[in-house]
Amino acid sequence: MASAILRFAVRSGVWASAFTAPLAAQAADPDALVIVTGQQAAMPIPTCMEGPQNLTANSDVADQLFLRLAELPPDLVTTDERRFVPVLAKSWTRRDSLTLAFDLDPRARWHNGRPVTAADVVFTFERARNPKVAPKLAGLLHHIVSVAAEGARRVVIRFDRVYAEQFYDATFNVAPMPAGLVPADAAPCPVVPPVGDGPFRWVRSVPGQFVELAADSGFFLGAPKIRRLFFRTAADPEARVNLLLSGEADATDNIPSPPLSNVERVEEAPGLRVVPLASPVLGYLLFNQRDRGDSTKPHPILSDPSVRRAIALALDRRRMVQSVFGRYGDVPFGPASRLLWIQRGAPAAAGQDTAQARRLLAKAGWVARNEDGILTRDGHPLALSLSYPLTSEARKQMALQVQEQLRGMGIRIDLQRLEGPVWAERRAHGNFDIDFSSATQDPTPSGLTQSWSCSGGTNVAHYCDLGVDSLLNRAITSPPGPAAGRLWQEVLRRIEADQPAVPMYSIAYVYAVSRRFRKAPIRPESSWLRVREWSR
Amino acid sequence: MTRWLAVRALQALLTLALVAVLLFFLMRLAPGDPLSRLGAEQQISQREIEHLRAQYGLDQPVSRQFVTWVTSVARGDLGNSIEYGRPVTSLIAERLPATLLLGGTVLLINFSLGLWLGAAQAVRRGSPLDRWLTGASLAGYALPSFWLGLVLAWLMAVRWRLLPAAGMQNPLLETDAGLWTRGLDVAAHLVLPAATLVIVSIASTMRYQRRAMLEVLPLPYIVAARAKGVPEALVLRHHAWRNALFPVLTLAGLWLPILATGSVFVESVFAWPGLGSLAAGAVGTRDYPLLMGTALLVSALIVVGGLMADIAYGLLDPRIRWT
Amino acid sequence: MDLTDLRGTLAASVWRRPSGRAALVTLGIIAAVAIAGPTFLPDPAAQPDVVGQASLPPGPGHPFGTDQLSRDVLSRVVGGARISLAVAGLAVLVSVTIGAGVGLVAGYLGGAADAALMRFVDAALAIPRLFILLLLLAVWDHIPIAALIIILGTTGWFGTSRLVRGEVLRLRHQDFVTGAEALGARRARVMFRHLFPNTLGPLLVAATLGVGDVILLEAGLSFLGLGIQPPRPSWGGMIFDAKSVLVTAPWTSIFPGLAIAATVLAVNLLGDALSGAVDPRQS
Repeated sequence: MASAILRFAVRSGVWASAFTAPLAAQAADPDALVIVTGQQAAMPIPTCMEGPQNLTANSDVADQLFLRLAELPPDLVTTDERRFVPVLAKSWTRRDSLTLAFDLDPRARWHNGRPVTAADVVFTFERARNPKVAPKLAGLLHHIVSVAAEGARRVVIRFDRVYAEQFYDATFNVAPMPAGLVPADAAPCPVVPPVGDGPFRWVRSVPGQFVELAADSGFFLGAPKIRRLFFRTAADPEARVNLLLSGEADATDNIPSPPLSNVERVEEAPGLRVVPLASPVLGYLLFNQRDRGDSTKPHPILSDPSVRRAIALALDRRRMVQSVFGRYGDVPFGPASRLLWIQRGAPAAAGQDTAQARRLLAKAGWVARNEDGILTRDGHPLALSLSYPLTSEARKQMALQVQEQLRGMGIRIDLQRLEGPVWAERRAHGNFDIDFSSATQDPTPSGLTQSWSCSGGTNVAHYCDLGVDSLLNRAITSPPGPAAGRLWQEVLRRIEADQPAVPMYSIAYVYAVSRRFRKAPIRPESSWLRVREWSR
Repeated sequence: MTRWLAVRALQALLTLALVAVLLFFLMRLAPGDPLSRLGAEQQISQREIEHLRAQYGLDQPVSRQFVTWVTSVARGDLGNSIEYGRPVTSLIAERLPATLLLGGTVLLINFSLGLWLGAAQAVRRGSPLDRWLTGASLAGYALPSFWLGLVLAWLMAVRWRLLPAAGMQNPLLETDAGLWTRGLDVAAHLVLPAATLVIVSIASTMRYQRRAMLEVLPLPYIVAARAKGVPEALVLRHHAWRNALFPVLTLAGLWLPILATGSVFVESVFAWPGLGSLAAGAVGTRDYPLLMGTALLVSALIVVGGLMADIAYGLLDPRIRWT
Repeated sequence: MDLTDLRGTLAASVWRRPSGRAALVTLGIIAAVAIAGPTFLPDPAAQPDVVGQASLPPGPGHPFGTDQLSRDVLSRVVGGARISLAVAGLAVLVSVTIGAGVGLVAGYLGGAADAALMRFVDAALAIPRLFILLLLLAVWDHIPIAALIIILGTTGWFGTSRLVRGEVLRLRHQDFVTGAEALGARRARVMFRHLFPNTLGPLLVAATLGVGDVILLEAGLSFLGLGIQPPRPSWGGMIFDAKSVLVTAPWTSIFPGLAIAATVLAVNLLGDALSGAVDPRQS
């Protein structure tokens, strides 16, 4: 019997090594780049990446297939059109304060050989500005009133008002696609092979596994050195780390972290290096201003600004960020991620001050304590729920720390770890006390109006300060320059003083890149935009 | 028998219909929908979400949505996935082969090896071998599959680089590579997930088989056969096995749906492109059409699994009559 | 064999067997630690130093090391024992009782009763448990432990009922059943006094294997916000939490894993000893 088991084990071992032999023998292609990501691109087509298709996986692939008119300058300032980098548009001129004219590069060709024309650009913007087809894009482009072709290569874009980010709006949000690639009013888009004008062309998609692209040898800005480009899918973070460490993948845009040990393992791997870059991610504790059961009534505890301030001061945010993100995270001042240029020059966030927090709570009437050591007022305990989605490891670890630190202050936090859609639905309906939110911000600071102005579309906590509204309005319309920068700083200071939320973390994405690639520029606003310039 | 089969088929169809109706409404009663999550992590306003809701027909009353769904299913159309923007039938068809390959391999090894080891344990009851196999199989059983999978992946793929860490094929392999090369590539990717699943699941087959054999071995006819000098191997194969097979057959019936849905955890840690991770993802995103499609497939297999077990009972023991 | 054989000498008979004794002693130790242990150990929720003392390997201050939030792993393993054992034991009891009852009735009565019960089981197996649980989540914010046990028990018996039914189908035409029927025994008597004891074999296997399943399933539930709520520890929850540091901080998952393995092994040995004690032919 025992010998039979042994025989079986030996036999399976022999088989296993027979399988592995060809795997090891197979030569890796040094000019292929395998990027591992969490999701697979299903619809990498401009104007189609809406709703469920609004995924980094889609835009990462679309960035390779479709060229924008112009790209952001290296320092990501969104307000100065003279410093944008020409790509599909060879040049542009400003006709007046409401009109921009773009001249397309005459060498630009779609992958089917047809030249890129102004009609293609007009078609794309028609789709992009139609709220029935592309609601999110249409919202972002709502200051554009017309897009017209003048001849085959000139596109004229008109705006309905004067503001600093006209050029950014016209170039960053959508890349032109060939007219008729998808029907003008199709929504959701049908699945079609994406024909683009970018450095790489579409080869195939293997469901659940990877998307393969190939270099376009005739690309007018120079053929890429990377000949084959793969976006490999592994939803599980540990599987992604394993693929990197085993050498089966060359790069990833965000080494799964926490735990920090994943980053350390990549740092120690001989074939890999890490590249930290500012990310658009902002994590914050959002205070509900209204009662969670009845949104017409103020929140019984959190509508008091001194309680909100006290909670912010009671937390040792730096230590939390350090424990979860190490040196790749910090505590932001105001609700702005590292990616936003307005973060530069902002003051440091307030540190922990438990004495001041206690004073503020006492002033608000929270003095007595019940048998569990929880503060009470008129017999009601200072108890709040904190909800967060179960998929976020970072928020889970921080929420546990928040609970433990506030327990020491006499504040009881009931953690509500919720399945994604349940969490989102409760958040959208204002059914929470404190929500541990995370936002992926666009590079433009004007996105702040969505969450922090009285009538903002995503202002689920019903925060409203007319002073903030008017400051936001002035900052958005002011011409580029130091005055605009000061106005934006003022916005951040005012929000920070009101404390509608506690900004918890802004982070760097820690990229992993194979050392095989000596030149490997990565862009914070869209990671793999410059793979066309990578080389060994 | 024919009449019984016809009745069973009718029952199966009714069960399927019932499951479909129940699921359809349960799904919409459950908190969260396919689009509300978008507002939480992206800067999408409630108004934009309303536009999207209209695009996907989710603004219609549930009864109307149900009628739409039923009429399209009657035409053999399971609708388009919200998450993937493609027909549910083609999504399932793409993922099914990977799941069947993994599930089939595991089922084959699990039952051939498990029945053999379980029987061997029963025959040598109380011996060191029996105790050792009990301990080893239960230790495997107590391991969470993702834990074992990650340990194996780390050892075999990261430390020793013997086997691929994840996926089902090497993307760098040229599409015109020979069938043999591609087959070996897939086989190499199959080893770790299959080994993980066999180790965590074989204990159950072994335990049921061991217990069933222990009950059969002391029965008079076995003792009599031995006394008549029938060789031991023959006694076991012809007399004991037959009666011990009942629980194992039920188990096999229960396994059939798992064969098709796969193990979510193992598919996930090995990035195996199967149906399990597709269905789990569909729950997490409330992709209603995709969920309904996978649930229908699973219920069909559950019904078929039960039916096959019943037929097998009848073949094993002619006294069982189906009315 | 008759149900009366099960009473009285059962416990003594289990204790006489070496495997039974080993199982009882192991379970006794685990139970004692679960009850008395927490009073001697630091607070399992305390986070002494999330930066300096996180993920410490086993050492003098922390015999089992610390987790990512600097919490003492030993305290958490001991603190999780009560919940994991109570949930597993009770939920399995509920599911095995229902599963045995339904399987007996379906297998013995046959016909319409069988068809109705088994088609119900088919349907129940087909509806993902997740949806039923999500519906509960829509009603309750937090689910009490008792409700959790009932949920796990009442949604975990479907496979068991099919196993028992299979056994009953095999047994119902054997002499001891047809004999009892010929003597005019009532159906309930045949089912519970004659058939039930003979289905104990697969039933005990199902029950003992079920313990391990439920401990891990509870962890899966707490991932939906349904199970044990943080910061209270449970074994399964600890293993899930340690998934991402499996290689770099193995002690955070190995110790709760060993606790589960010891419990599963002990319960299975107990099951063996029990069925041996019940069925004298095997001794």
